[in-house]
Amino acid sequence: MNLRFHWMLPKGGEVAMKTAQETSRVLTTKARSPAALPDIEGWSRFARHAEEAGIESVLLSFSRYEPDTILIACAVGRATTRLKFIIAYRSGLMQPPTFVQQINTLSALIGGRVALNIVAGSSTAEQRGYGDFLDHDERYARAEEFLAICHSFWQSKGEVDFDGKYYRVERGKLHTPFVAPGRQTPEIYVSGHSEQAEQLALKQGSCWLRLIDTPDKLRPLVARIREHGVEVCLRLCVVCRPTREEALAAARALLPDEEIGRQERGILASSDSQTLKQALAVADDVGWLNQYLWAGLVPYYGSSSITLVGTPEELAAAFLEYKRIGVTQFIIAGWPKLDEMVIFGREVMPLVRKAESH
Amino acid sequence: MNLKFHWMLPKGGEVSLDEPQTPQAAARYRIQSTSNTSSAPRPDMEGWIHFARHAEAAGIESVLVSFSRYEPDPLVVACALGQATKRLKFIVAYRSGLMQPTTFVQQVNTLSALIGGRIALNVVAGSSTAEQHGYGDYLAHDDRYARAAEFLAVCRSFWKNDGEVDFDGKYYRVEKGRLHTPFLAPDRVAPEIYVSGHSESAEQLARTQGTCLLRVADVASKLQPSVARLRQLGVEVCLRVCVLCRGTREEAVGVAESLLPERDLPGQESNIATKDDSQMYREASRATDRKNNWLTRSLWTGLVPYYGPVWTALVGTPTEIAEALLEYKEIGVTQFIMSGWPEVDEVITFGREVLPLVRQAEQSSGEA
Repeated sequence: MNLRFHWMLPKGGEVAMKTAQETSRVLTTKARSPAALPDIEGWSRFARHAEEAGIESVLLSFSRYEPDTILIACAVGRATTRLKFIIAYRSGLMQPPTFVQQINTLSALIGGRVALNIVAGSSTAEQRGYGDFLDHDERYARAEEFLAICHSFWQSKGEVDFDGKYYRVERGKLHTPFVAPGRQTPEIYVSGHSEQAEQLALKQGSCWLRLIDTPDKLRPLVARIREHGVEVCLRLCVVCRPTREEALAAARALLPDEEIGRQERGILASSDSQTLKQALAVADDVGWLNQYLWAGLVPYYGSSSITLVGTPEELAAAFLEYKRIGVTQFIIAGWPKLDEMVIFGREVMPLVRKAESH
Repeated sequence: MNLKFHWMLPKGGEVSLDEPQTPQAAARYRIQSTSNTSSAPRPDMEGWIHFARHAEAAGIESVLVSFSRYEPDPLVVACALGQATKRLKFIVAYRSGLMQPTTFVQQVNTLSALIGGRIALNVVAGSSTAEQHGYGDYLAHDDRYARAAEFLAVCRSFWKNDGEVDFDGKYYRVEKGRLHTPFLAPDRVAPEIYVSGHSESAEQLARTQGTCLLRVADVASKLQPSVARLRQLGVEVCLRVCVLCRGTREEAVGVAESLLPERDLPGQESNIATKDDSQMYREASRATDRKNNWLTRSLWTGLVPYYGPVWTALVGTPTEIAEALLEYKEIGVTQFIMSGWPEVDEVITFGREVLPLVRQAEQSSGEA
């Protein structure tokens, strides 16, 4: 099986932006940020390049700062033909039958190009704004019930009955099926670094989505997950340039101005996510996790900004090393959003595919 | 103000692109749309776009996209169809209690930004008890209305868009709620909200949280007091009615009667009876007893005992139907959501034969 490469869908307005500073989280979370608005023109352009680059799917992130992911996938999906959409959604925002009805409708409208990234929740403050007052552990228990009901709808030909702690469904029936070539349910990526997240991925997911780390550290974790028939997908950023020196310079240029940097750290410190805490702790001691993996941007742009830095050959070798330990998929981002993906498709992907075909 | 005319979006597969469809076949398709073998649950972009073109050409302002477990999700359908059209608006039916109001607002706002603000909402408190249980909703009829009031109150706080939203109610609690994607429309900061239902709770919900009460057509004189009361409070009234228009009265009545089931269908009747706590359906069951189904010269409820109150129909010639619509206008009704058998043919007839008569009369009364 060839490695599968996905990319982050840029936020509204980002496709046109040229620097990391422009696309930093501070600007995204500002009330007047272009990230609040759909950017069909930018996204259509990005989607065309993604399809050309050999990217399989784009991940649509969910937050109160951005438009709704299901409707964006519908709009961009109707304007594309091959690209798939990994839709991030939080359990606890709607009844599972309603969620299934929306996802099934979407699948029928865009030729089944739908996968889900189920997230148990975000910061406590953000969750409360959505009417969700459960704590971290309970959110995972609820997410498990949520996905169990969704699976029942996707697998059942008859009625769905469920009597849980958080949800109760009696003779549930939806006539619109999940429609996709070769599948009767969407792939489900479960993300998070806590024990609960891993358990949720094993019980209810098809793939565990987590941040990249060194192959040595990930090897035992990945092996354990794969044993249960669940895939592992790594979230990372890339900076790829013809020479190592150029790559390092490009990476360093991503460090923010002092002022933006201070605001960024404030936002990150207010989160209660396990993932962020772990990543921040690591990055405070060391910037480089190994020769290619750089966490220098984490204090400013968050845990998902751990970056593979190097030449096309170095990056291809790194991806293949992850493949050897059992990783099957990647969700990537870069700066600027569009250019880095084009470089990846042109320079890195052919090297990976060549090695895989031997 | 001219009357506003909307139309029901046909069910998936209902629009026939290949061959002409008889009214009987169209009616049969709709009756069977809840069966397991129907295509109604499948999105039907080709058929819908065909219908949308004709609706726009006929002067129809919006289509109502209905919600049920037998159909695709109306928000997602409106998104796809809105991208394929330019002028047509979408009245999206949704039930409160299926998602957190914050999430609902985020979806509606996103949709508004994607399709140029061509979205209104038809908020329904719920459906049959059995269907609600299948969606994880166990509240009784009156509680569902109380929840719907809270639901809309939270939504409207977000649409006011003046800072963070705090709400502490019986059914919903939101703390420092904030959404960055605004509701975007050329002339509005919040969508129009149609509240449907026939109970006192529904009327009250329309008054406190809606912009328009949506109900099934009845005799104008019977509706008059309630319409006057609502209009006084600044709430519009929209009537849901089917239309069957032909060149002569005999022809129209003939087609209408051809839609009656060949024999009594106890199945359908009991189906209606299962919507046990709906006021609208209780009224419809009572109508079964009535021998005379012609409530006025053009308002006919002959199909209601079999297929439910939304099969109430205006039957007649273009002149008769235009007169009936104008009579409703006189008592204060401002909008209609119509439907026909088949939808495409009837919307074409309506746009060509009835609407010009209505507009002409509206213009001359305006000049007078």
